[in-house]
Amino acid sequence: MISEFLNMNGYGLYVWSSFSIVLISCAVVYLRTRKTLRKYEQEFLKELQSLSQEEQSKAVATSKIAQQILATNTKTN
Amino acid sequence: MLKFLSPSNVYSFIQSLIKFINSIFFLILLIGLTFALILSPPDFIQGDSVRIMYVHVPSAWIGLLCFSVITILSILNFIFKIKNFYLINKSIAPIGLLFTSLAIITGSLWGQPTWGTWWAWDARLTSMLVLMFFYVLYILCFKFIKTDEATVKWSSIVAIIGSINLPIIKYSVDWWNTLHQPASIKLTGSSSIHSSMLMPLLVMLLVFLLYAALIFLMKYKTEIIRIKKKNIKKT
Repeated sequence: MISEFLNMNGYGLYVWSSFSIVLISCAVVYLRTRKTLRKYEQEFLKELQSLSQEEQSKAVATSKIAQQILATNTKTN
Repeated sequence: MLKFLSPSNVYSFIQSLIKFINSIFFLILLIGLTFALILSPPDFIQGDSVRIMYVHVPSAWIGLLCFSVITILSILNFIFKIKNFYLINKSIAPIGLLFTSLAIITGSLWGQPTWGTWWAWDARLTSMLVLMFFYVLYILCFKFIKTDEATVKWSSIVAIIGSINLPIIKYSVDWWNTLHQPASIKLTGSSSIHSSMLMPLLVMLLVFLLYAALIFLMKYKTEIIRIKKKNIKKT
C-alpha cells in the first residue's frame, strides 16, 4: 500500500520531486532569512552596547526598536 | 499621512505576527499536504500527476501577486516618496523570485508526463520566464546600485516596465494557441475545477501565503534593524 502511494500510478517521480523541491527550497530560504535576521539583531545589540552609558540610555529612550531588541535579548538570555 | 505605518510603529506588531504565523503554520501545512497528497482524487485524464497543481498554481499566483504589489508600491513611491515602500519592495522581491522559479520548475515537472516535454517556448511559459528575469534585474538594482535615490529610481523603472508582462502572462492562454491550459479558476464566472480539487488548492494557497508573509515580515524586520543600526549613533 505504501509503495502504491509512493508510486502514484507511475507519476511518483514527478509528484514527489515537485513537492520535495518546493519544501526544500522554502526551508532553505526560511533558515537563511532567520540567520540573517539574528545576525543583524546581534550586530545591533553589540553596537548599542558599545555606546557610552549616556548615549545608550538616550538611544533606548528615543528608539522603540532598540527597546524591543534589548527586551527580546534579555528574555532569551 | 502614513506615520502609523512607520517602521518604529509596526516593529512590535511584526514581532507578534511572526510568532502567530509560526504557531499555526505547521498545522495548516500538514492539513494542506494531507489534502493534496492523500485525500484529493486523481484526475480522470492526468491521473496522479495533477497533484503537482497544488504546489505549481499557488507558486505562480504568488509570483504574480508579489510583482503586482511591487509595481503598485513603486508607482506610489515615485509619486509620494515614501521610503517605507522601498523597504517593503526590497523585502518582497526575493519571495516573488522564489515562487516564480518554483512555478517554472514544478511546471516543467508537470509538463513532462502530461505534454511529453520539460519545456516549450509557449506564450505562458515564456512570459513566466520573462517575469523571473525581471525579478532578477529588480534584485540586482538593490545589489549593485550604490545610492538609495538611484536604487529607488532604477528599481521602480524595472518594476513599471516589468508590469507590462503581467497582463501578458494572465491572458497569454486566451490570446495565443498554447500548450498551457486556460484558467480553470475564475473570479468572475464559474470555475471548471471540481470542489474536491478546489478545496486542497485553496488550503495549499493559504499555506503558501502564510509562508510568503512570514518571510516578508522577517526580511522587513531585518531591513528595519539594518537602517536603525546605521542611525544608532546619530540618535
